[in-house]
Amino acid sequence: MQVRYYGTEQTISRPTGGARHQNKKNLLDGLCIERNMRSSTLSWLCRVLTCGAALLLCAATAYPQASPIPHGTLELIARHPWISPGQTLDLGLRFQLDKGWHIYWVNPGDSGEPPSIEWQLPAGLTAGAIEWPTPKRFESGSIVDYGYEDAVLLIVPLQAAASLPTQPPIRIDAKVKLLVCSHEMCVPGKTELTLTLPIKSPPMLHVHNNVVRKQDVENEHLFAATSQSLPRPAPGGWRFNVADTSDLFVLSVNFGSEIAGREVTQAIFFPLSESQIENAAPQKLQPTTTGFRLTLRKSERLLKPIARLQGVIVFSADHSDSTHPDSNQSYIIDVPISKSSAARSSSIKIHPAEASQP
Amino acid sequence: MKRSTLQLIVPGIGPRLVPCILALLLSVAPPLLSAAKVGAPAPDFTSAASNGKTIHLADYRGKYVVLEWHNNGCPFVRKQYDSGNMQRLQKQWTAQGVVWFTILSSAPGKQGYVTASEENDYLAKRQAAPTAALLDPTGDIGHLYDAKTSPHMFVINPQGVVIYDGAIDDKPTTDVNDVPGATNYVNLALQQAMAGRPVETPATRPYGCSVKYADATH
Repeated sequence: MQVRYYGTEQTISRPTGGARHQNKKNLLDGLCIERNMRSSTLSWLCRVLTCGAALLLCAATAYPQASPIPHGTLELIARHPWISPGQTLDLGLRFQLDKGWHIYWVNPGDSGEPPSIEWQLPAGLTAGAIEWPTPKRFESGSIVDYGYEDAVLLIVPLQAAASLPTQPPIRIDAKVKLLVCSHEMCVPGKTELTLTLPIKSPPMLHVHNNVVRKQDVENEHLFAATSQSLPRPAPGGWRFNVADTSDLFVLSVNFGSEIAGREVTQAIFFPLSESQIENAAPQKLQPTTTGFRLTLRKSERLLKPIARLQGVIVFSADHSDSTHPDSNQSYIIDVPISKSSAARSSSIKIHPAEASQP
Repeated sequence: MKRSTLQLIVPGIGPRLVPCILALLLSVAPPLLSAAKVGAPAPDFTSAASNGKTIHLADYRGKYVVLEWHNNGCPFVRKQYDSGNMQRLQKQWTAQGVVWFTILSSAPGKQGYVTASEENDYLAKRQAAPTAALLDPTGDIGHLYDAKTSPHMFVINPQGVVIYDGAIDDKPTTDVNDVPGATNYVNLALQQAMAGRPVETPATRPYGCSVKYADATH
């Protein structure tokens, strides 16, 4: 199909990705949503049909529908369907993207823009920063971006004050701005998401009603799997070093006493800040007797020396024990740069005076 | 000329082989070309413009030249054009003798690819006022300058040296509301250079959509 992407993206027909809209609701769920939306007829029906425990659950689990975004859907979900005073609840932006489309990491790389969230929260609730999962590289010739495709959950911890009144249920609003791109085009998106949750102490026992609680269970699993895969601090016994040469940063990882049976076969470093390394440059991996070295080319745009190299490293290692837990785990890198030599000095300076510019 | 030079260097090569070898050399040549660098001479190019003219960059020695990488569907570009900011800059600087080239490196079938007449319609509709819009569907000029995003901006001084390479401003968003409060790096570079001062911020990370180059063949 030959399509000329001229003018606005609204003229582009969207492929109908059947698999991604898996929001089948049972009747009760459906009514709950309608009730939440204050649709008068269904609201009445809901009240009639659902009494006792069912009504309680109904109020507690008002599942929103996934909102359409360009080339995908977005949904605001919670790790569990209640807020407890004095505790943290993980909220999540659940993106499902059509094949071939991606969104961006906190450092988007050579192009793009990460999604941003503007929260509207009642007093007593505070949203933290996005916990960014390990990104993927999207390479298109000399342009390398960092982001996510298919499905991704961006977790945001929500802190509830101890003084939070238990009535009534609380409404959480999030305005999300995002950019969705393929290799062919980029499309901006904007959506408003809502989630209403009751305030209560954690229940001692889960009510065993599989029909109603199915999505809660799925959500818990999704949050657990995502949290598990987030970049984590490296084990205490590991040692890191970053050497600064004129054009390169050389990141050395020493596994210390944990080296037995470990040979790193693949490693990728994702820089937290832009314009520190050349995203498209190959990252050269050299196994060493105690770990490995990864050579990163400095960005042409790195005009001032940097004190620390920060980012995420993902590596896979061959283990004699293939069930070793850290295969393909990603770790947070925050390492002081050992020699604070000048940043690239080669051809960047036009006038000597610039060196002293603040 | 190249042919005779090659035969001069490698006398054993017969004339029939020369085109093959040249083709081989040319096929690996682009990555060896050094991309545009701040402080270094701006790589020269020849390009067809949407107005039917042929543009040689070297002909504009003696003037400041701005290069603006463009993709009319990219939200970051639309932020600049919907707000009228890019057109304002084009008018403001060309009125002062600056040459402004809008460069379109999107490949056919990709966002931002247009024919010459489509581009002329767009320029008229948007009331844009570059000196010329250069059609680069092969991406040759884009790769020569290592243009990464739309918009990616370059400023070249009258001596033909690149004095700015990077973003249009310091607000890497698609939000039109961010235009008024932004620090525009192209303005700063031109103002400072014209005043005989050093360009304080000669290189920044360009932001925007990735340039929608043709997929690499072979």
